[in-house]
Amino acid sequence: MTNPTEDDLKVIADQVWSSYLDLDGASPLVPLPHEKPVDDVTASVSVTGAWRGHVLVSCSEAAAKHVAAALLGIEFDDVAEEDVADALGELANIIGGNVKSLLPEPCALSLPHVHVDGANGRYPSVTEVCHLEGTWMAESVTVTVLESTADLAGAPA
Amino acid sequence: MLTMVIDDSRAMRLILKRIVAQLGFDVVEAGNGQEAMDYLTTNVLEGGGEIPGLALVDWNMPEMNGLEFVTAVRAEPRLRGMTLMMVTTESEQSQIVRALASGAHEYVIKPFTPDAIIDKLALLGLVPNGVAA
Repeated sequence: MTNPTEDDLKVIADQVWSSYLDLDGASPLVPLPHEKPVDDVTASVSVTGAWRGHVLVSCSEAAAKHVAAALLGIEFDDVAEEDVADALGELANIIGGNVKSLLPEPCALSLPHVHVDGANGRYPSVTEVCHLEGTWMAESVTVTVLESTADLAGAPA
Repeated sequence: MLTMVIDDSRAMRLILKRIVAQLGFDVVEAGNGQEAMDYLTTNVLEGGGEIPGLALVDWNMPEMNGLEFVTAVRAEPRLRGMTLMMVTTESEQSQIVRALASGAHEYVIKPFTPDAIIDKLALLGLVPNGVAA
């Protein structure tokens, strides 16, 4: 089994968007980097077991609110902070679960974590496996897979 | 039919609720397996209320996960009428086998379309064939 690739992330993202965020096919995630990639909001799930690392979904605040509005069926202006955490966390859970299916078994998936102050420094001792930069509704969305480079005791492998 | 939708994501509960509500099912929501068991204990086992005919159960949840919930329901003879469908991101064959061996009747992997849920309900005989759009 090999590591997931950007193409794998595209397939997974297409399935997620067509199932929940782009039901009529009018607003797909376009796999082109946004001119200003931002990570105002990041939701992540961790994978432990035969493979260890993290799957991150990062996006602009506006994109996060669009996700919440679409999943919860509410207006953009009515989206509250807890709506963003719930919706983006579930998005990371679904994408992370599908990434996990590409990894060696056995692995376990954590519950999602959502933070709004950037991802820098939150994931020490990792190396990037792949990432997908996209634009959705004119906003930045990025999916990143990070593999841990530390052993279970925390020392570099 | 009374249906339990058990998922720690409010957004996912809403998505599932919309699907089964359009089939005319009544819905009770729970945010994890423990909340669902508490509902069943209070309202069904002790309260004598209606036994849900169906539960849509996420796997990864805090407090009590979906697999633990399925096992707990299967251990209670008075709840044997409940049909249990896992709706989860856990997509490895080994996990599907594990869930079915624990007593789940069906298994749907996220992301799903409404038709995927309805098709599975039809396979279980809970809705007529051909209901899906």
